[in-house]
This record gives sequence, C-alpha cells and structure tokens, in this order.
Amino acid sequence: MGKKVLVVDDDPDVRLFNTTVLEENGYLPIEAENGEEGLQMIKSEKPDLVILDVLMPRQSGIRLYRELKTNASLREVKVLILSGIAKKTFLRSQQALTEFGESQVPEPEFYLEKPVDEDVLAATIKKILG
Amino acid sequence: MKIGKLLYVTKFEDLGYDALKTLLSLRQSGLEHIVFMYVIEREKVAMRRGIGYQKAEAIRLKETANIRFIDWAERLFEQGMEVGVYIQVGSLAAEVAKAVAKEEADLVVIGRSHKTILEQFYAGSTVSELIRRLPVPVLVYKPVTDNPFVTGTPFQRPLIATDWSPASLRAVDYLLGITPLIEEVRVVHVADADEIEGSSVMNAQKTRKEAKARLEEICGRFQAQGTAARSHVYVGDPATEIEKAARECRATMVVLGSSSKNLWVERWLGSTPREIAENSAFPTLLIPPAIG
Repeated sequence: MGKKVLVVDDDPDVRLFNTTVLEENGYLPIEAENGEEGLQMIKSEKPDLVILDVLMPRQSGIRLYRELKTNASLREVKVLILSGIAKKTFLRSQQALTEFGESQVPEPEFYLEKPVDEDVLAATIKKILG
Repeated sequence: MKIGKLLYVTKFEDLGYDALKTLLSLRQSGLEHIVFMYVIEREKVAMRRGIGYQKAEAIRLKETANIRFIDWAERLFEQGMEVGVYIQVGSLAAEVAKAVAKEEADLVVIGRSHKTILEQFYAGSTVSELIRRLPVPVLVYKPVTDNPFVTGTPFQRPLIATDWSPASLRAVDYLLGITPLIEEVRVVHVADADEIEGSSVMNAQKTRKEAKARLEEICGRFQAQGTAARSHVYVGDPATEIEKAARECRATMVVLGSSSKNLWVERWLGSTPREIAENSAFPTLLIPPAIG
C-alpha cells in the first residue's frame, strides 16, 4: 500500500489537483479543508506527509505548522507547504510570532509557491518520501 | 470584552486595505485573527438561457478576489496576525451568517449596502438582514476619506445614541467593555419634538434636564473606567439629529443598539439604526439584540 499523504487546503479544486497527482504516483491521499481539521487528521491518521496550504478558514497553515513543530509527538511529521503566500511572508510571520513571545520554529524544509506544475509537485513528493 | 476575531466582508470597491488599517487599533483589545470574505452574488453567475451556469465568470471573480486577499493576508501575516479567507457564491447575508457561526467571529465589518431604495424595499436591506441574522455587532464602515468631518480611527471617539431602550443600553454596556480603545465618548439623547412642542418653557427645560441627568449617569460609568465622556441632548428626528451630533462632536463612529423588529414592520415604518447605517457619513456600529 502506498504512503499516506494528507492534503490540507480549503479550495476543492486544489485538493482535487493534489490528490490526483498523488494517486497517479501511487500514494494514498486523504483530505482536510482547514488547519483545524488538518491537525485532527494528522493526530488520527498519522500521515507520512502533509501538503499544507497557508491561507485557509478556521486555522491557517502558519498556525498549523507552528503547532506541529512545537509538539514533541508531531514534530517529525514531514510537511510540504504549497501556497499562494510567498515563502518570505511565511518566514516573516513565524519570526513575528517568535518576537511576540511564542516558541521558535524551524524553517519549513519544503516550500512550493502556487501555481505548481504537476511534474514538479510529483518530483518534490518523491524527493521527500523517497 | 475581547474582539479577538473580525470578519471583514468586502466587495473591494467599498472596503479596501486602507479601511482595514484603521481597524488594526483593535489589536489593543485582543484582535489577532482577521477573516476576509467575498461573496459572489448568485445572480452574477446564475443559469441564463442559452448560456447556462457561468462557471468561467465565477472562476474569474473568485481568482480576482483571491489575488487581492493574498496581498492583504501577506501584510497581516508579516505582522504576526492570523488570517483566513472565504470566497463563496450565494446570498450575502446567508453566507456571512454561516461564516460568523463557523469562525465564531466577534465583529463583522461590512461596507454600506449598494442596493437601491426599491431593491431594499422588495429584497430588504443587507444591513437589516445581517442584524436580524447575526448574534455579533456589525460595523457598517464608511471610508474616512469620504468625510472631511471624520479624522481618526472608528473606535477613537464614538458617539453613542440612547433612547433608554434595552437595545440602546446594551450598546452602552458593549462600549464599556472596550474602553481601552476609546479616547472619548459622546453620549447623546434625541428628545421627541412632540415632548417640547406646546409645552411651557419650564416643561421643555425640565425634559432637557431629566434627559441630561440620565446621560450624565452613563457618562459617569465611562469616567469611572478612565474614559472621557460628555453628554448632549438634541431635539427632533433621531436620524437627522444623531448625524448632526456626530458632525458637531467630530465623532469617529456612531454606535446604536438594534432591536429585533419584524421584517415587514421595518420595511413599512423604517428603522433609525438601519437609516443611520445606510445613510450616515459616519461608520456605524450596530449592537444586535442577542448581545448581553
């Protein structure tokens, strides 16, 4: 059975694109439509990779990423950020939150800005999951 | 009282990022999460004979909104704020109500209604519909740049109008919960012209003095919290006089309590909060019946 990949994105068209790429490459996709639902699914489904959008209702990807990286039992979950929000904004945001007294979190290892080509997405997932 | 999460409902031409910036003072009262919302009205993309559902138009509108929101969100994220977004096709009031429930927002900010008087009569005003549906305050925002009388941010110098009704007293309580945001508050009562007309000079003065004493009681509650407050009595049509008072006091916002009038009663007889929200040059904060 293929590795399990959680797609967290509020846009159903983007979820469809991502899950199709995942299925075509032999992975098992599961979906969540916001950060809050994503966190619950990470805890219950224990995916091998999370493809995470940033700008979403309920809880943004910035907050979810921070929750993962500051939780000892979830810290090792692999995350690929896939968003229309620029990487530099993501980093500045995390820096601002750290300056406000929250814990420091590591930079995301994998970050793709939308729009993304399906070959690039597939290659990046393969690189992460091996 | 904490205003932690704000739902910012925009059609872009009515509420831009500049308007949002004037609301960032709410961070002092705990604002940390802004949710943007754009509703594509169903009739814009609805089924048409020979064309069908206009999916391409829906995608174009959605992506145009998304691009604007990404730009705004980037600026807010970089300030350490949490940001969310909803872009929906549907009826404005219904979609806003759904988003408020889902997000548990503390305040809704919306531009003034663009409906014509005739549309408002038949379909109802968006503001009235929102007030009826929402359990949270609604700020009907008017761009400060449109009004030479308004300088400052909305919560800086609010004017609160009271007729001693439970709805207006609830609005007083709401403002008392956010005094750290307020520099000075003006408390106004508009006496009915009939109360003065035909009565003696002494009776008219008695009416004024009684109203003034009650207003001073309210001012005292603000002053006890360290917020400057002044009282004023006006006479005449409430909507006209409140507007006049706001201008004379150089208020930055008008605050009103809203009662839950029956839809048809409101359409036929009108409503002061709705009239002010729709027509005043000042941003108008409406406190709904469900609060308190």
